[in-house]
Amino acid sequence: MPMSTHDHHSEASKNLAFIRETMESASSFTAVSGLGTVAVGCVGLLAAWIAWPYGTETPLGVWIPAAFLALASAGIGNWVKAKRLDVPMWTGSFRKMAWGIVPALLAGGALTLVLTREGASHLLPGTWLSLYGAGVAAAGTFSVRALRWMGLVFLGLGVLALFRPDWGLVLLAVGFGGVHIVSGIFIARSHGG
Amino acid sequence: MAVDPKVDSLDQLIHERRRLGIVSALAANESLTFGELKAVLKTTDGNLSVHARKLEDAGYVKVSKGFEDRRPRTEYSLTDKGRRALEQYLAKMESIVNSTRDALER
Repeated sequence: MPMSTHDHHSEASKNLAFIRETMESASSFTAVSGLGTVAVGCVGLLAAWIAWPYGTETPLGVWIPAAFLALASAGIGNWVKAKRLDVPMWTGSFRKMAWGIVPALLAGGALTLVLTREGASHLLPGTWLSLYGAGVAAAGTFSVRALRWMGLVFLGLGVLALFRPDWGLVLLAVGFGGVHIVSGIFIARSHGG
Repeated sequence: MAVDPKVDSLDQLIHERRRLGIVSALAANESLTFGELKAVLKTTDGNLSVHARKLEDAGYVKVSKGFEDRRPRTEYSLTDKGRRALEQYLAKMESIVNSTRDALER
């Protein structure tokens, strides 16, 4: 049976939508591994659980090793993803992302030393969350939209933690644990693993 | 109802869904590796190879093979001919949509 004008119209619209969706998903391809981000979230939750008895003290002996473990998990995740997709890991956009996030992390490191020395460790959760959020949002400019939103959520949690240091540990668990896990699952599903 | 002549003259090579996917994905990037294309289009090795080969034979897609860290690496990019073909295809799809809209508004 020949197709009617209406059928052609709906097929043409579907084809246009398909082209648009394919172009979007191809250009929003990210080197950031969703599964690696989920692993970072698990490290975050584990650290929060170990730090729980310390309350607002924010023990560096727990959080600093956790940060390195998280960095290693993210690195391995990205490496595995790059290998699987057969792309070089150190691409232009990855380099730009590194330039977006590293300065914020360095500032976070310096502030951690100073705040601890001044006896203000209750401000560490807010400082970490907001600086990490600022870094991720900046890095996200060169990657998928999900990363930019993840950065802004961290920034929001950080600001909240600065105003309510008594919620610091819970917000650390929500941010470094929960937000990483949710964003990681989303990235893994929508952006190639 | 008669078939619209515009539909008859469609480029069948990229009208096929998987090939349209390959061309669209490449239009959004300078180049994509085999693995990236496979992930974007959610397809199998065999399927992608067959359709990419057809596009390559038609001169729509350029394939470059090389090595990275001693592993083979296949990279695809859209040729000028391929880009023009996609543009023409898009123009035809748009004109079908617009002509139906005009008919509905009349």
